[in-house]
Amino acid sequence: MNENELKSLWQSANEKLAHSLIINIKNTEDITRLKVNTFLSSMKPVKVFTLIVGVVWVIVIGGMLGSIFVFAGNKNINLFFFCSATIQVLLTVISLAVYVYQLDIIHKIDFSEPILAIQEKLSKLRISTLNVTKILFLQLPLWTIFYWNEKMFINGSLFLWILQGIITFAFVYLSVWLFFNIKYENRNKKWFQLIFRGKEWQPIIQSIELLSQIEKYQEQENKNTLV
Amino acid sequence: MINDTKLHQEFHQIIVQHKGILFKVAKTYCQNEDERQDLLQEMMVQIWKSLHTYNNKFAITTWLYRVCLNVSISFYRKNINRQNANRQIFEEQLSIQEDTNNEKQEQLILLEKFISQLNHLDKALMLLYLEDKSHAEISDIMGVSVSNVGTKLGRIKEKLKTKFSQINA
Repeated sequence: MNENELKSLWQSANEKLAHSLIINIKNTEDITRLKVNTFLSSMKPVKVFTLIVGVVWVIVIGGMLGSIFVFAGNKNINLFFFCSATIQVLLTVISLAVYVYQLDIIHKIDFSEPILAIQEKLSKLRISTLNVTKILFLQLPLWTIFYWNEKMFINGSLFLWILQGIITFAFVYLSVWLFFNIKYENRNKKWFQLIFRGKEWQPIIQSIELLSQIEKYQEQENKNTLV
Repeated sequence: MINDTKLHQEFHQIIVQHKGILFKVAKTYCQNEDERQDLLQEMMVQIWKSLHTYNNKFAITTWLYRVCLNVSISFYRKNINRQNANRQIFEEQLSIQEDTNNEKQEQLILLEKFISQLNHLDKALMLLYLEDKSHAEISDIMGVSVSNVGTKLGRIKEKLKTKFSQINA
């Protein structure tokens, strides 16, 4: 079967089907009134809510840390707790910046733009959720040092410090390693699939695949330009 | 400024006139009937929401293909909370098998199987090719150069030829 025969087979089969379609007019009209949860509209409220909670968190905790620093003075502060909390607040600020970036992209999405451009935006939007996860992993070591205090240094045994050192070093190593290795090039690695195997990660994994397809199109585009 | 009633009329007209485009795209990306109804609903919502941005410099079919393909490629079942599970927008009244002979039917099934195995972007390209769109139109819809359309289509057609020749051998 040649190309033209194939085309006409496809077209005639689908034309017949299309002609036989009956549109439920009432349901079509309802679409213009119905508040349907589309992909983008379902993403927006969650992100806005997260953003509001995050901003409140940063203001409250950041404000408390600021006032402790100003009013208690350097000597009365547990530096480990203070630094851990401050870094945690700063990492939250960075996560919020990613959310603002996502909301900005959602706002700019126009489905009538060319396919490659829109799919690239959407894929990057979904994948940027990975960046928030990476940042959250960076917080891990803070949970192993925030409780350190002067008494531990004076009274702590060698065993305690060896154990504490191993745990903190392991968490630092793990969080930094994850920060640099959570990227779509590693999507086929076992550890990656273990972390991101739930249903909730499926759209992100699909977006990673799609982005690599887009890149192949762009590579071909570059090759054609050079020729 | 287009008023609301005119927009409603336009929307209705587009859906009735171009229902074939919506259905063909949905059928290419969704084999499951229930999911296809969800996808069609999602397409119509996006058409309605984007209608005010429609620009006359593009053919309405180019604009429609862009919206429908963009929705289909980014469609993910889990993200849709179907509000009206029984809401059938399109009803299929005819089965393709009815008046096609066996050999053609087999070829069609083979072609559909081949398309279903393509990745999302190649699927869009193949669909537009089979719909007899010119390379320039495909380039407008996809947002890639005409030469890239030619190269990519050439590769897909080559794969298709191999597939068919393996079956017919």
